[in-house]
Formats: sequence, C-alpha cells, structure tokens
Amino acid sequence: MGIDVTVKIGGQAGQGIQTVGELLAAACHESGLYLHGINDFESRIRGGHSFMQLRISDSPVQAPDHRVHLLVALNERTLDTHRSELAAGGLVLLDSESERSDTSVLCVPVTKLARDAGGAIMANTVAAGACLALLGAPAESIKAVLKAQFLDKSESVLENNLKAAKSGAKAVEGIQFDRAFKWPESRPAGKLLTGARMLALGALAADCRFAGFYPMSPATGIMANLAEFEDRLPLVVEQAEDEIAAVNMAIGASFAGVRAMTATSGGGFALMTEGLGLAGITETPLVVINSQRPGPATGLPTRTAQGDLRFVLHAAQDEFPRFVFAPDSLDSAFEIMIRSFDLADRYQVPVIVLTDQYFNDSIAITQKPLEAPSAIERFVVDDADMDDSGEYRRFAVTESGVSPRALPCEGRALVMVSGNEHQEDGHISEKVSDRIGQMNKRHRKLSGMEKQIRPPRADNPDSSVLLAGWGSTAGAIRESAELLRAEGIDAGAVCFTDIWPFPAKETAALLDKCSRFYMVEQNFSAQLGWLIAERTGRKFHQAIVKYDGRPFFPDEIARRVKAFEEGANG
Amino acid sequence: MVDKDDFQCDFENKWCPGCGNFGILNAMKQALADLEMPPEKVLIVSGIGQAAKTPHFLKCNFFHGLHGRALPVATGAKTANRDLNILVNMGDGDCYGEGGNHFISAIRRNIDVTLLVHDNRIYGLTKGQASPTSERGFVTRLQPHGPRSDPMNPAALALSQGAGFVARGYVGNREHLTGLIKQGIEYSGFALIDIMQVCVSFNRVNTYEWYAERVYDANRAGHDENDFRAAMNLVFEDKEKIPTGLIYRKQTVPFSDRLGRPGPDALLREKYNPDKVQNLIDSA
Repeated sequence: MGIDVTVKIGGQAGQGIQTVGELLAAACHESGLYLHGINDFESRIRGGHSFMQLRISDSPVQAPDHRVHLLVALNERTLDTHRSELAAGGLVLLDSESERSDTSVLCVPVTKLARDAGGAIMANTVAAGACLALLGAPAESIKAVLKAQFLDKSESVLENNLKAAKSGAKAVEGIQFDRAFKWPESRPAGKLLTGARMLALGALAADCRFAGFYPMSPATGIMANLAEFEDRLPLVVEQAEDEIAAVNMAIGASFAGVRAMTATSGGGFALMTEGLGLAGITETPLVVINSQRPGPATGLPTRTAQGDLRFVLHAAQDEFPRFVFAPDSLDSAFEIMIRSFDLADRYQVPVIVLTDQYFNDSIAITQKPLEAPSAIERFVVDDADMDDSGEYRRFAVTESGVSPRALPCEGRALVMVSGNEHQEDGHISEKVSDRIGQMNKRHRKLSGMEKQIRPPRADNPDSSVLLAGWGSTAGAIRESAELLRAEGIDAGAVCFTDIWPFPAKETAALLDKCSRFYMVEQNFSAQLGWLIAERTGRKFHQAIVKYDGRPFFPDEIARRVKAFEEGANG
Repeated sequence: MVDKDDFQCDFENKWCPGCGNFGILNAMKQALADLEMPPEKVLIVSGIGQAAKTPHFLKCNFFHGLHGRALPVATGAKTANRDLNILVNMGDGDCYGEGGNHFISAIRRNIDVTLLVHDNRIYGLTKGQASPTSERGFVTRLQPHGPRSDPMNPAALALSQGAGFVARGYVGNREHLTGLIKQGIEYSGFALIDIMQVCVSFNRVNTYEWYAERVYDANRAGHDENDFRAAMNLVFEDKEKIPTGLIYRKQTVPFSDRLGRPGPDALLREKYNPDKVQNLIDSA
C-alpha cells in the first residue's frame, strides 16, 4: 500500500473544523490524491465537540480508517477524546501557547499566530498550513487552494490568509513527521464532493424541475445544493410548510408534467407516507430521497443509520409497486438519481432513494465522469398519439400495467386522476371488477420493473465467507473483506444498491456459492438480512450490526467477523 | 363559444338529493362557460370529502387527492405549468381543519388558484361531526354538548394573512355565487370563496331557512371591497347577519411571478439542454 494517512481535526462547533478539513481536502484533491472525509457533529450550532476525519491516499478510498496519524486538536477536549485513536508514530498538533513534555504532542499557538496574521478567525488557515507542511506538501499547494477559496473576497483577505498559512507552516518547520509523504504532481483524479451535492447533481442531470422540501438533517444539504442552480436552469426549489406539503407539491408538479422530487429524513418521510401512497394509486412519477438518521422520532439528528429499510419497503397503507435504491458511492448516487427519475416516468411509480448522514455529509472523489443524459425521455402521450382523444382513459388496463400518460390541459384528452380506487377513466369506482382490474394492472408493472434491477455487486464472490450489506456501508464492507483476506480468511463482499423489487434469483445464486454469509448493517436487527431470508430462504450466519449513529470502520467489521470465524473454526 | 352543457358529464352523481353542492356545481359550470373556458382548459384539484368529489361531476381535468392536501398539489401543478387554470374544491373540514397549515401557506405564497370552500359547518362524508366552522353548542352524536372549540373565521384569517381576494358566497343565491366565481378565476393570485353551503342530511341548524334570514349582499349594502379596514370590520360583524359578496380585493404579485425565473415560459415548456446541464455539472 502506498499513501494512507488519516488526519482528524477536532474542536467545538463554530471553530471552523470543517474549514481546516476542506482546505486540506482541496490541497490533496488538486495534487491528484484520493481522499475520504467524514463529518461528525452534535445537534448544536456552537460549542460541543465535533470533528472531521480525512483519509488521504494515492488510490481510491471509500471508508474511514480507525487509526489517526495526525490529530489536530483545536481544544483540549479533542486531545482527551481522541488520543487513544492515535496510530503508532502518530502526532498531535495542539492549539496551545505553552510547551508539553509529551513528545507526541506538538504545541502550536494556532490562535495566536492567526491573530498576528490579522485575526483569530484565520486559525483554520494556520492549522491547515501547519498540517500540510507536516505532511510534506509543497508550499504552493495551499496557495492555490486559498486563492480558489477566497476568489470573491477582497485582496487583503487572501493576503492575510496566505500569511496565516505560512506562519502555520513555519511553526512546524524542522519537525519530522513519520507519515509525511512525497506529494504527487498529478491532475485531480475526479471531482471532490459531498454525497449531498452529488445527489443534487444527479437530480440536475435527470432534468428534475421541481423540488419541494422541509428542512431536516441530514437531507437539507441536498436541497441547498440544488437551489444553487435555480437561476440557471428550469428549476424551482420550494420550501414547503411541512413534509406533507412537500411531497404533495412534488406530486402536483409531476402530475402537471415536470420531473419532481422531495428529500427528507425518517421523521419527515413518516409524514410523507400518505403522499407516497397517493403517488402509488394515482401512478404519478415521484422521486423521494430518505437520508436516514437514527430514530425513532427525533433520534440522533446529526448521526447516521440504516434503520429505515423495512419502513420504506412498506411505507403507506396497502400495496403498490415502488423502487428502492441505495447508492453505495458518489458515482452510484449520480447514476441512481438519473435512473430513478427515468424509472419513475417509465413505470409511473414512486422511487425511494435511501442514503444516510454518513453518505450525505462525507466527502470523497468521484471515479467516473459525470455525464448528463443527451436526451430525456418522458414517456407521455398527447392527442396525436390517440385514435380518439375524447375517449382517453388515464388508467387504461394494459398488459404491461403501464397506461399511456397524458398531461392535464395539454390537449383535448381529459386527464382525470383520483386517489380513490377508480375505473379506467379515473372516476371513483367501488366495483369489484375495477378494484381487481386496477390492482392487477398496477402490480403487473412489477415484472417490467424487476428487469430494471441490477444484482448486488460481488467482490471475490467465490469466497467461502461473504460479507453482505447495502448502500453507503459498501466501501467499509469491501475493505474489511480485503483486510480479512490479508489475514488468511477467504472472504468476499456482496453489496446491494438495487433493493426493491428484490433481486431474489441473483442473490440466491450468489449466496449458494459460499459456506456462510454475514450481514453488515447499521441497524439493530439486520433488516436486509431478514429480507434476504424472506425472499430467498437463505439465512445469514451472524449479523454485524451497529446502531450507535457512527459509521463503520473496515477494521471494526473485520475484527468482529474474525471473532465469529475463529469461534466457528475452533 | 363554451356552453354550460359542455361540462355535462354522465358519471353518476353521488351527492344526496337537495345537497347544497349542486348549487356550487351549477355556478361553477356557468362561470366557466361565461369565461369561455372549455373543459379541456380547466384543472380542478380537490381534497377528500363530499365537496372534493365535485370534479367527478363535471367534465374537466382533475386531480382528486388526499384529505386536506389539495392546495399543495395545486401549488406544485401551477408551479410546473403556469398556464393551467386551476380551481380547488374543498370542504370546511378538508380545507380549514386537516389542511389548515396549507391554507395559510397558499395565501402567503399567493398561488394563483381559485379556492372554493364548500362551507356547510359539518362533516358530511363521515356522517355528521362538528367542523372547524361549527358554532359552540352545535350538537352532534360525537359532540353531545357541541364542540368545545370556538368556530374559525376563515375570511378573517385569510385577510390577516394578506389574501388579495376574499369573497363569501351562498348556495341559495346562484347568480351571485356565479359572479363571485368568475371574479375569482379572473383574479391574478390566490382567490378564496368561502361558500355558505347547506347539508340537508346532517346539519339541521344551518338550513336554507336559517341562511335566508341572515344572508345579505354586503356590496349592495355599500361595502367597499377595496377598503381593508372595512373588510375586517365586515367579517367580524354581528353573527345574526351574514354578509356575502366580495369582501376584499387588492392587486398582488402571484406566485408564478415570484419564481425569479429568467423566461416567461412555463417550467413544463422549457427544453432540456444537455450541454448547459453538463457545463453546470462540470463546473460544480
């Protein structure tokens, strides 16, 4: 393995931890390195304790590392809290004006240096300058990054920050840091983005034109990123009075003919469920992102979880077809957003995209080019497509289950839609024949929808032990399988992005090849594990679950699997 | 030339004989015909309740959605396609109870729709419970001593939130109601028409006779619909008399003009531009 260094920056909320992390990330990105960064914070704006943990590598990284090589402590609490995570040869950079006898703690008067450079607010820049110097980065790297950062600020702001960065670097001059490395001089490997931003870009690429939302962590970032493009594209992002309004607005916009979405977290999704059912029975295309956090109720607002899988599979009363996807990387999020809007239109069904706080708030680098589709197919009809537009029936019974969809007031055909059970023309009906006819019609879509589902990605599928999971934890799961292989355990990984309709046949075939499989999930009961059992009859050996709201580390998964394996073999 | 009969629809009507909704339905058809709006150019969005079934009983495009949620659906539809002519039919429970927050928000957004509230002071579809506009002492099976809440004042609430078109109609005065609906449709912005409606099956208090003794035409009595203070005084008048007519009207900027979008075209009609989208993604 080449470069693999983890820097953790900790302090109070409001101290600018993220700024330090973002400056470091930008410098790494510019020089062609890969990185993965997690944001950990409390549900408060000021004070408390938060950190950003940045893993830097010369090859793609998709998960955080549990070992910290450089701990940047903007306060004492960070030192106390995270000291134990320090790897051998690790170093602490502490904002302090007094020296310590402990050689692993490097005291740098970060705040004082910032004040000297023009203001305490630049403490972040001082810290970033010091970190980059310790890591062996060329002096120019921070300059370029600061220039980009303060592009629209006055000259003096940039000057002061350059001075601050320089003083940070100077303060650590001559310090030998074991994990310093030779910085490559390549071009950026891909785009540096958060998951939330990638979801927004995916929506843009999919020609999403309306987004209704109500602020809720960790989904708000998606909408903030999307709103940035409002003035440049045919796009309206509207903050609704509540989540119920948000989903109903999206349904109204979609009914009228534009691609529409909403995004929320579990609590907001709970409020949206009746709307989800409305989209189901009115066969209105709809994309809903549920960015999960631990629940129930308010739960842990700023933490991560995968506890809503069962919820979204069954949300809203009775049954109707839906898609459920869970991106496993930035690249897959972009693709899944494009697919979601396309499939919602194609099958006239709601699509749920499951992400989580870990995915939305983490930064990483894309590995594939982000390509906007050359054209958007809408799967709508107008008068010209009909023999007699006066006889148009919005819910005509068809073999595929998909009825030709016309738009209201766009022709002579009257588009009549009801959330009550209805006859083919859309009028309310309580007749048995209409109920059965429409239920069967809606559910007939499933056979087409199943063909759109991609089987889980399998790494080393012929291994005797498989680790299975879904969505954002894929990076940690795949790496943990690699760690196990390095320790002599024949392990592979199976990670799902397409969850519903469930790819039962492919899953069963995959799992039949292994001796046993483990579920790795961020919920209490291994929800996907039991779904697999239900749909395939294959039962997991053990579940590695985590529900403390913090993301998985690859090492943690590997250790827990190994413990079971040693038990199984000994 | 659009005729009232163009809206004739052969789908079986499911209201009780003598229901006040028939008067509203007829007034709507007449208003649309008078305004030369053919069925294919009309979109009706409704919630749930007897009132919300209205679009099934005339020819039009419609979206009959969830209880309380018609206004968000209408907001989304109008935002997607500003060329739509949208009427919203809701009952008093639907609009002021279940959908109260949406009612307030639709006023504040000034979404350009005409909201017809079939206000019969009772829940009809669920067979006779008190509604947000039922008076204290209005006895029902579920409220043997009457509701414990005071009745809501929808017109006053709308005025207080900045509504630019507030009217009150009465089903017993068809021509007058038709005129109000026409003015509501022609108004650019959110138009509320709170319609005093009669439930012949469950409301034995607020009957045709009861209304006949109280309802009067406020505009004919000299009310100036441009005077906000006068409008406020009117909607707080002694309950022994019920003023109807155009309570208040002012010019406002409708939601569709608040979007800050560069072009005048409806969102729906803009072409997808892959090069522009790609550029934005590349530079993001």
